[in-house]
Amino acid sequence: MTVAPDFHEQIIAILPKLRVQALALTRNRASAEDLVQDAVCNALSAQESFIPGTNFAAWMHRILRNRFISNLRKRRDTTDIEDVPTSAFATDAAHEDRLALKELGHAITRLPADQREALVMVVVHGLSYEALAEATGCAVGTAKSRVFRARRQLETWLLGEAAERREGSRTAEQTTRPEGGTRTTA
Amino acid sequence: MKYVAMTQRKDKPVAVRPPKKRGEKAFDLWLQRGLHELFDDIAKEPIPEELLNIIEQDRKN
Repeated sequence: MTVAPDFHEQIIAILPKLRVQALALTRNRASAEDLVQDAVCNALSAQESFIPGTNFAAWMHRILRNRFISNLRKRRDTTDIEDVPTSAFATDAAHEDRLALKELGHAITRLPADQREALVMVVVHGLSYEALAEATGCAVGTAKSRVFRARRQLETWLLGEAAERREGSRTAEQTTRPEGGTRTTA
Repeated sequence: MKYVAMTQRKDKPVAVRPPKKRGEKAFDLWLQRGLHELFDDIAKEPIPEELLNIIEQDRKN
């Protein structure tokens, strides 16, 4: 199999998105940089397995995600990723001064990693649910559900009782239609 | 009043999911802005030289 001539250019082009995905998963900038580098090394080693013309972004996001899961399993003996200090997540001093944003940054770290990743990839990257499903190796319905649950969980945490009351009225609806409405763009 | 069988009605189907309430929309908009503020910075930061060197080295080989 021939390797696409622009394989390396494609890696360089997707690096910003990989960094965002890595930060969403790890909640820690230093860990995110390490994860991106590990994923790039894995991709370079496996470049022969990439089929030119297929979805490079999804292929690359899956490599990073698999590497994250692999690292997580290795570290589980010594460190629980959920115990990473939340203060490591937001490092920009300007952001720290803004209470609402700080609260959001804190709440984000409390979400399960798969929901956090899904929310960020849809809202920040603008991925469609179909692209998210391909990039994370899950069903489209699962991708939708992760984003929906992340949004509503944040709303409950950040807005408190008002959101909980609304959530209560939606519960029956979600029970019968768990995947929510159709959405093609962020 | 004339009754029409369900199969003969030409009404548009009722939406299964109700439209988002104002509060929910406002929260989603705020969340979108907040997530961009939290995550856009890392995407805009320069790529570490070490990482670029790894990629370039592989390209040459």
